[in-house]
Amino acid sequence: MTQEEEILIMPGAWNLPFRHTAGRFASRFFRELRDNQKIYGVRCPRCRRVLVPPRPLCERCFASPDEWVEVSHQGTLGAFTICYVPFMGLPPPPVAMIMVVLDGADTGLQHLLGGVDLSDPEKSRDLVKIGMRVEAVWREQRRGEIMDIQHFKPI
Amino acid sequence: MARRVAIVGVGQTLHEEFKDQCIYWENDYEATKLALEDAALDKGQIDTVIASGWDAVDGRTISDMHTCMAIGGYLKDSSHVGEDGIMALAYAYLRIASGQFDTVVVAGHGHREASLDRVSSVVFDPLFARPVGANHITTLAMQANAYAQRYGVGQEAAAKVVVKNRANGARNPYAHLQTPVTLEEVQGSGWVAYPLHALDCPPESVGGVALILAAEENVKRITSKPVWIKGISWAIESYYLGAKDLSQMPSLAAAAQRAYRMAGIVRPLEELDVAEIHEPTSFHELMAYEALGLAEAGQGNRLVEEGLTEREGKLPVNLSGGCLSTNLLGASGLARAAEAVLQLRGEAHGRQAAGAKLALAHGFSALSGAAAPTNCVVILERG
Amino acid sequence: MGRRVAIVGVGLTKCSSHRRDVTYPELIHEAVSNALADADIGFEQIDAVVYGSMDPFDGVFAPERWNVDACVSAGFLTKPFMKITTGGTTGGSTALGGYYHVGSGMFDVVLAVASQRVGETLEAQLVLNTAIDPIYERWIGGGAITVAANQAVHHFHYYGTTEEDLAMVAAKNYANALNNPYAHLQRHLTVEDALRSRMISWPLRLSDCCPSSDGACAIILASEERARKLTKTPAWVRGAGQITDNYNVGDRLWFHDWDSLAMLARRVYKQAKITDPMAEIDVAEPYVAFTVQEIMEYEALGFAEPGRGVELIRKGVTAMDGKLPVCPSGGTLCTNPIGATGLIRVAEAALQVMGKADKRQVPNVKTALAHSWGAAIGFHTMMILDKEAP
Repeated sequence: MTQEEEILIMPGAWNLPFRHTAGRFASRFFRELRDNQKIYGVRCPRCRRVLVPPRPLCERCFASPDEWVEVSHQGTLGAFTICYVPFMGLPPPPVAMIMVVLDGADTGLQHLLGGVDLSDPEKSRDLVKIGMRVEAVWREQRRGEIMDIQHFKPI
Repeated sequence: MARRVAIVGVGQTLHEEFKDQCIYWENDYEATKLALEDAALDKGQIDTVIASGWDAVDGRTISDMHTCMAIGGYLKDSSHVGEDGIMALAYAYLRIASGQFDTVVVAGHGHREASLDRVSSVVFDPLFARPVGANHITTLAMQANAYAQRYGVGQEAAAKVVVKNRANGARNPYAHLQTPVTLEEVQGSGWVAYPLHALDCPPESVGGVALILAAEENVKRITSKPVWIKGISWAIESYYLGAKDLSQMPSLAAAAQRAYRMAGIVRPLEELDVAEIHEPTSFHELMAYEALGLAEAGQGNRLVEEGLTEREGKLPVNLSGGCLSTNLLGASGLARAAEAVLQLRGEAHGRQAAGAKLALAHGFSALSGAAAPTNCVVILERG
Repeated sequence: MGRRVAIVGVGLTKCSSHRRDVTYPELIHEAVSNALADADIGFEQIDAVVYGSMDPFDGVFAPERWNVDACVSAGFLTKPFMKITTGGTTGGSTALGGYYHVGSGMFDVVLAVASQRVGETLEAQLVLNTAIDPIYERWIGGGAITVAANQAVHHFHYYGTTEEDLAMVAAKNYANALNNPYAHLQRHLTVEDALRSRMISWPLRLSDCCPSSDGACAIILASEERARKLTKTPAWVRGAGQITDNYNVGDRLWFHDWDSLAMLARRVYKQAKITDPMAEIDVAEPYVAFTVQEIMEYEALGFAEPGRGVELIRKGVTAMDGKLPVCPSGGTLCTNPIGATGLIRVAEAALQVMGKADKRQVPNVKTALAHSWGAAIGFHTMMILDKEAP
């Protein structure tokens, strides 16, 4: 390519700060994690599903859940994957991202699996399975965010 | 002749400075619930929903995953316009006119999670405009200046628009800013970007607006106070600021002409009873008067000087208080339509234009200021 | 069904990881010019424009503003123009937008354009992460690949699908892409090559995942009267629709069955009066961003019973010489300019019906299906195109 034909590449980056309100529902959920080490869901008044994590709307019924229900720290693995390449926002690989249905909840909570050696991909197939039982492991210093639960470990 | 479409339900939340107890889409949800109540319909009777807004303002890409749910879209046919909510109204109109849907919810919201000038700067191309500071406000300011310079329109004329709209907002229980301001306060409010003082610019408001549209065959069953869409059109204009006459709003003029033709309006100043204009700055309301054919080029300020667009004037403009009193970033245009509906139904308590039968609602759908805005004009008629 | 609408022209661009040769407006102009040339009309005949892109991958938010002058020539710039954006289904939603524009009776000839320049983003997954709710799920790093991996884990667990089945889907689509001059990835890939490719998020390997592409697409839709004047081979819209499922991925733990897509397919088939999709559909362009999704789509679209989708790929039913070729273009797996991809599915289906798909043409196509999915696998769009007017 000659100098007349050189295509220039201009660098760019977005630095867009936001202040995201957690709103009433998530705020209470996080406060309970932080202050009482409890996990809550909310029940839809119409379909009676317990939604974890709590949210202001049951979209099926178009109704606001109004009943707070404490759910267990233990649950069942509904889905998972194991990441082998680094992804922004995830701990370094190998890392298992999971969906856990806590006992008492009707929806899955997205989180991470810990306490399992994932370094051998072949062996991992036996160590992580849909339907296995897991339990929350808590962070020492809780701040009022989802990562106050450090991860879930098999039981 | 296309199938006629009417607005049969309207809902809006109170609009405030902050509403941190709500996730942004709860504003859409609340407004939709109110609109459904207003129309005495339930979610099951809605065929399709159209959400609106800008992902960058919401801080989430695919924001409509949330907003479609919030307005009753679960398991329904839904869509989302990356525009002000007034364009959701336009799309809903098309869906009903096509005969494939009968009843549609449209909604929009404003929330305060982002900085408008930062978010709007990334709408501009990174090669030429963004590096020199183009954003929504700076380009609107350049446009306001071009207009003011070309026609010799002074600061005071624009400030009078602010005084008018803020006085109107003070009578609107939904409005965010409910205190009147004086000319002195406007002109003493500090410069933002010449010729715009702080009070020449809209605030940032939090709230939601929703409308329900229905096909002609079902309208009588739903409401005794339909508001018919008699004319509707929208238009965009060029992106390149340097290649156009900044003192004009050609996309608004084109949209207005087409909407008037559809509605059979020939002399808008005489025929319209009330107008809700989306003014992204005070100067832009003056420019809009001209683009809407209410005044000759450069003469927009005369309508204000002569009190024609005042509350008691020949054609009251922005009885709601306009965008200068409530600015839902992503739904200010839809809010203009909502107010026009209330005016035509005789439900605009404390700010009612007597006997309003024909209204104009305008939305300025843009984060890009003077560069490629979309202007939408709707002519509404009391049924 | 309402006013008859047909696609009368299609314009594609060559897709690549970064089209360094063009700025954004030039890329759009390429797609739009190609579509106008294909339909043999000029800008002055376009009554309205619908534009879709998934913001904010391109480094420019709301790129339709910068691009507007490339969609409409100077003399016609105050035309009606509407931006639609719905995540991965954006291209499909844009086609639907164009369809309702003409169907409304307000416009006779409409240009629908969709684009994406993922090549201008350094880390596309970073952007996708912002789709995930910032309050609960974003901290867990969830994104498209991990959600699709969950689909695969479930399909393996509940239906016995294997990694080799996924590799067969990859090999088929890569082979098809070699016939498509506009495709991004054009290389030979055997089943063995696929099984050796790097594991990304178990069980999905690199060969199971779509690329990130720069590209744009434009189609022209017209009313019946205009369509018949403009072309001898219009592609008539016989059925069209969209469905919106919940965004909370944790609410939908039945990852192995794509219920929302099955529901949409039933609605659209009813509208199109299709009772036996396998027999009545001649070619399909569903949105296969990850190989396992093609198998799930066979099932949700009614080409196979739940859990038996693998039989179609194993027996070659969906190969180019099979009974129902799927993704003759190579599909999303080989080309994914995200906001445009859904429209490319429609464009490819239209080309098949119009008999203009060159080396990737399936013989004797009467009826073609186009689909896209998006969001947290909760949005779907679908369009059925036909040689005969409905």
